[in-house]
Amino acid sequence: MSEQVHNRLAMVRAERKVSRQALAEAVGAHYQTIGYIERGQYNPSLDLALRIAEFFDLPVEALFSLRPFRPLTDEVYGRKQ
Amino acid sequence: MTTTGTTEQARRTRYDERMFAIMNDRTAAPLYATAARRRAAVAAHVALTAATVAAGAGMYVTDTPWLAYVMLALVAPWCLATGVINGATRGLLELRTHALDERQLAERDRVRAQAHRLTTYLLAAAVVCIAAGKWFGHVQAGTLLVPVLVAVFVAHWLMPMWVAGLAVRDEPTEEQEEL
Repeated sequence: MSEQVHNRLAMVRAERKVSRQALAEAVGAHYQTIGYIERGQYNPSLDLALRIAEFFDLPVEALFSLRPFRPLTDEVYGRKQ
Repeated sequence: MTTTGTTEQARRTRYDERMFAIMNDRTAAPLYATAARRRAAVAAHVALTAATVAAGAGMYVTDTPWLAYVMLALVAPWCLATGVINGATRGLLELRTHALDERQLAERDRVRAQAHRLTTYLLAAAVVCIAAGKWFGHVQAGTLLVPVLVAVFVAHWLMPMWVAGLAVRDEPTEEQEEL
């Protein structure tokens, strides 16, 4: 089983123009924790992952995955892997 | 986007908010921005603590009152070094449990476990040294008792802070002011 949880947090956060500080305050985490999650240095608990997903109004699997995410352009333009 | 704060956040008092603000004050950030600077701060703190304990022990063993002035002179730089380490750890060991998030709580547990292990080794070393001194060096164990107990107590008290100071990772790049 993979120990690494992949995420798209940095991308979604940049897209929504939300600072680490603002996201951290909204989900009850320290802003460094958001940075460590984005860098893959910390895997959030299910509770925190769900709170982050709820903040962005996205399903949790849109932000976190056990497998690496495909590049977004591939998903949008349908290039097969 | 919705706010999804936790019940832990709701439990924070004004004291917690004040302490959180102090521990997360970035004014002194250049002092602990790199791993080398954090190591230097911890080394300075260990040295200042050792000097203070040595001065206290010297005062006790040799009955030299002026060593109290040495101890007093060491207090200010010791407090400064403590502040640098607390700033680097963002108050990991100073803030109350409900002022820390899940990553910080896990980090604090790791730090305490490692500090406990190191303190155990230190206590074992102290026991061996005193026993060896008594058996081979004809040292009066009673004379050493108070200074050694004080040194071990101080090490036990401060070891988590030293371990936490060394365990701090570099700040994630791309700060919030960018957005």
